[in-house]
Amino acid sequence: MVGDSVIGHLFLPQHTNNHRPKTLQIDALFVYFVLLLVMNFGLNIIGRSRPDVLGYATDIQVTQLLEYTNTARENDGLSPLTLNTQLSEAAARKATDMFTKNYWAHNSPTGNTPWDFIVASGYTYQIAGENLAKNFDTSRTVVDAWMASPSHRDNVLKPAYRDVGYAVINGTLNGEETTLVVQMFGATSTRSIVQAAERSPTIAPTPVPRTTPSAVRNETPVIISEAASQTDTALAYPFSGVARAFSRVTNQPLLNVSLFWRELALVFLGMLMGVLFVDAWLVARRRTVRLAGHNIAHIFFLGSFIFLIQWAQRGSLL
Amino acid sequence: MRIHIVHFSILALILIIGSLTFFSLAGNPQLRIVTGIAMATAYVVWGIFHHAASGDLHLRVVIEYVLVGAIALVFLLAVLG
Repeated sequence: MVGDSVIGHLFLPQHTNNHRPKTLQIDALFVYFVLLLVMNFGLNIIGRSRPDVLGYATDIQVTQLLEYTNTARENDGLSPLTLNTQLSEAAARKATDMFTKNYWAHNSPTGNTPWDFIVASGYTYQIAGENLAKNFDTSRTVVDAWMASPSHRDNVLKPAYRDVGYAVINGTLNGEETTLVVQMFGATSTRSIVQAAERSPTIAPTPVPRTTPSAVRNETPVIISEAASQTDTALAYPFSGVARAFSRVTNQPLLNVSLFWRELALVFLGMLMGVLFVDAWLVARRRTVRLAGHNIAHIFFLGSFIFLIQWAQRGSLL
Repeated sequence: MRIHIVHFSILALILIIGSLTFFSLAGNPQLRIVTGIAMATAYVVWGIFHHAASGDLHLRVVIEYVLVGAIALVFLLAVLG
């Protein structure tokens, strides 16, 4: 008989477990909680010291970022942006500066603005903009997140922009292994701004104030990224030097932590919901009176969290 | 029965509003974590009110809701952290 077996004791409500499956009792829930907490803590520690073994899988390429950005613009009836080597160098300098000075912001702690980096690269802009992203896993998720955020979407879909530059770089920010993506937009002539204003009178791009070159720090970026496998990028990416060195980041750890937790959540919480459902059904059928939480409420709650966890993305925008 | 329908409608509303808020915060994992914590807290509070109204509120029941919420939160923190 299943009911009298160990399986019955663990998963079915019966007299041996006080009419509540052992796997759903408070002591069992507490053990799950502590085990998951310890596992999370342990994986974090291992991941920090050995990100090649236990880390976050990443594959972000400038060619893909450009393609997805231009697809979004074309879907909105806008002209595609041209990949600009000076803006890419400005983005590379900005990304390096963020790692060197350990900050996550549009302006550096020493007061440098994005426009300083653009001017330093030799790009003479009339209008410019910057989007930042960190810790996304693919080029698609980066552009999707930009499009989902109203202010970043405004930048991607600003008609006045003509050029774009990117830098993708891996390094350590605030003690954490981080993949940064810097996207810099620009237009060099007032003609494009006027054309854009004529086409779309509701959008009034505000030209960014020009910064004097004397305020610009002229650092040579240090290439931190070493993970890039750039064989196929070499065929598609048109630039050389600094801009090319920041054109792709690929990390493939032995265990992808993000995927691991998603799948564990799906399996573990799914099984818990299954036991809760069977328990609720048997208790209702037998009309058992007992003191316990409401199984259907637990199922609703855990189901919504499984959904959120599957779609959760640890990437940040600025 | 009617009180159950009202209570579960409120729970559904909490979970739907929480999920919509969560999805609207793309690119901001810190605020997503705050949203998750708020959802779990609201769930525990809902459980307390629900069982108090049903006349079977007990410390064991409260602990059960707290642990279910905490387990779900550990997974969310692991993915977003």
